[in-house]
Amino acid sequence: MKRKMIMLSAVVAMMLPLAACGSSNGNSSPSGSASSGASGDDGGKSYELTVAYFSLGSVPKDQLLIEQELNKITKTKINATVKLLPISMSAWQNQINLMLTSNEKLDLMPLLGTTYANQVAKGQLVQLDDLLSNQGEGIVEALGPDYANAAQIDGKTYGVPTIRDLAQSYGFYMTKDLADKYNIDLSQVKTLDDVEPILKTIKDNEPNKIPMVNATNASPLTSFSTRDTLGDDMGVLLNNGQDLKVVNWFETEEYAADLKKMREWYLAGYIAKDAVTVKESKSDIIKAGKGAGSLAVMKPGFVEQESRQSGAPIVSVEMLPPVAKTSTVTNIMWGIARNSDNPEKAMQFLNLMYTDKDVVNLLDWGIEGKHYVKVSDNVIDYPQGVNAGNVGYAGTGWLFGNQFLSYVFKGDDEHLWEKMKEFNAGAIKSKALGFTFDSSPVKTEYAAVSNVLSQYRIALECGALDPGKMLPEFIAKLKDAGIDKIIAEKQKQLDAWAAAKGTEGK
Amino acid sequence: MTGISARRWKKFAPLFLLMLPGLAYLIVNNYLPMFGMIIAFKDVNFSKGILGSDWIGFKNFEYLFKTKDAYIITRNTILYNGFFIVVNTIGALALAILLNEIRKKFFQRFYQSIIILPHLISMVIVSYLVFAMLSSDTGLVNKSILPLFGAGEISWYSSKQYWPYILTVVNVWKGIGYLSVVYLASIISIDPEYYEAATLDGASKWQQIRTITVPLITPVITMMTLLAIGRIFYSDFGLFYQVPMDSGILSETTNVIDTYVYRALMNLGDIGMSSAAGVYQSIVGFVLVILSNYAVRKFSKDNALF
Repeated sequence: MKRKMIMLSAVVAMMLPLAACGSSNGNSSPSGSASSGASGDDGGKSYELTVAYFSLGSVPKDQLLIEQELNKITKTKINATVKLLPISMSAWQNQINLMLTSNEKLDLMPLLGTTYANQVAKGQLVQLDDLLSNQGEGIVEALGPDYANAAQIDGKTYGVPTIRDLAQSYGFYMTKDLADKYNIDLSQVKTLDDVEPILKTIKDNEPNKIPMVNATNASPLTSFSTRDTLGDDMGVLLNNGQDLKVVNWFETEEYAADLKKMREWYLAGYIAKDAVTVKESKSDIIKAGKGAGSLAVMKPGFVEQESRQSGAPIVSVEMLPPVAKTSTVTNIMWGIARNSDNPEKAMQFLNLMYTDKDVVNLLDWGIEGKHYVKVSDNVIDYPQGVNAGNVGYAGTGWLFGNQFLSYVFKGDDEHLWEKMKEFNAGAIKSKALGFTFDSSPVKTEYAAVSNVLSQYRIALECGALDPGKMLPEFIAKLKDAGIDKIIAEKQKQLDAWAAAKGTEGK
Repeated sequence: MTGISARRWKKFAPLFLLMLPGLAYLIVNNYLPMFGMIIAFKDVNFSKGILGSDWIGFKNFEYLFKTKDAYIITRNTILYNGFFIVVNTIGALALAILLNEIRKKFFQRFYQSIIILPHLISMVIVSYLVFAMLSSDTGLVNKSILPLFGAGEISWYSSKQYWPYILTVVNVWKGIGYLSVVYLASIISIDPEYYEAATLDGASKWQQIRTITVPLITPVITMMTLLAIGRIFYSDFGLFYQVPMDSGILSETTNVIDTYVYRALMNLGDIGMSSAAGVYQSIVGFVLVILSNYAVRKFSKDNALF
């Protein structure tokens, strides 16, 4: 009996750590088991690509069907199969960092403009220049040279932007019913002063609606810009980057005037009292009937998109012309992970995402007849009995390579992509388009300044703090944290970049 | 091996086997990762690997001490956590003694469950419960309670002077139940004969508490307090980030080391610098535990942890 007990405890003791190891492995690497399973039936030549990307909702239920369908195409065209690995947006940064750090199998992934320079500095990405000229000509051709080179760091490319709205314009929008009710003509609105009377009308007549809605962790000014932020607003180029002098945005008169305006609006009740702590999206607030309108970043098709999200028709006006800056181009890109065993194959697949209509539409909209049906050559709709709520697959259009190859959904402008092309081509281009700041030489200051920004910025820009008193304090704290050192470093890198560009180009 | 030691081995083997899982867990989860401390002193470059990356000394630590905020965050962290330790210990002890005096089993269980409930609620949800109280548009306090006293509305999320109290209340409300259950468990294990003898000698309830209950569970109190002191440099991130709704205006009274590090590195994503913060917190915690244990030893040797 006693012996039995000893045996039993021995067995239990042995099993516990094993079980623990097993489960922790399973948790940290959802892709590990999947890729090892597939490599088992590896016939020899065909390579399996792991493509991670972020998904905005839950994983669609027909995800596997899409993958099978996609593999039929890739098998014949580039002799490779693709393992799609959607990761939810909230977990993206952590997951992808873990995968990159732990050398997990990963070939392609989207890059975010905010972390791109850092990933390059840390050596996590494969340099793409040779690959682009050998396996990825289609990508360069589709993007055009200006935009294809926008992501260069030290003259080398590590990421390619997806093709979508590559510029941004800024404007004001509000729900159509209110505009009609009070006879508001948006076409004459050009400046913030022009917006003011509209806000007043709403405030006076619609006491239950916030005239100027703002998003979580943002202010109305977040979606209104005349500068090239150079990625992070720590040192910016004024006048949309038409000259290359880096200045401290928070010390400019323009910023002080904007803050003064926001303070007036806040005190007048045009901006929500809880603006600083708001936790709902703008469209949700408007949908709930609690908001009237907002300043926003715009592009062709904005009205249709926003009307859908807000659940009510809206009207809008463009107040500032479209501008292309590094940040608007590089905010979503694709890159090849250093972990990739076969970067050539990865580039071949990436090339398909920029040139192959079937691949793009499969990833954007799903399978024809099952997830969508064509109504005309270029326009699609849901099949009978299917709607936005129960469709088995819906991709994120601006994510998968070349959105201009995708079908237009019924209700959107049929010529949306032509208009978007014009929008991109006609945009004012910042002189610093293509410059990406590498913050690693000043990361101590960068971290300290980030903290000061998060303390003051939103509260000041929502008008919750009195700029007369707090703006000088804010500026003093920024200087204390070392913003001048960041600006000097940025100027140095920018000058070097401009000089290199000048000698190689014209 | 001699016969005797073999017999002894046989006797103690099951105990060692019982220890094995815990030991393995500790080594895998707590000791092996200590190797990662070197990351704090390196400029990590993934193409070179962690071992191959360049040593940069204390450069990763600089941002923690760079601005005047360094003083504020250290002060906030220590004062808040120190205060929490005192308030929670006294409160939980009082609560545990009161719970122990309840004779009806049903009510004792009932109160215990009610008190421990907040401990199980996620901090994000707690932050919205607080928001429901304090919101300026719809909050209970501004709309219903303050008008009762004829007071005007207060914009809670932009008035930093109230937050030390709000955070303490939330922390006590959330943490006290768990701690009191720990104390209650050790109070229950006290031999009832002590109390019987004391009652025979005519000791009042208060005297019994003072001379029997508290002294007998002092080792548990010391242990819990020492453990808490070891974590004094770690703050409850949810409490300091979620509950003030990440409102920047409040940062003078709500910014602690953990939130500072989070805000500093959110965009940078530098693992060297985040490791530096972790190393700093652990080392200060370690030193504090050693020191306070030393102090306890001086005072009463039996109650010290080691």
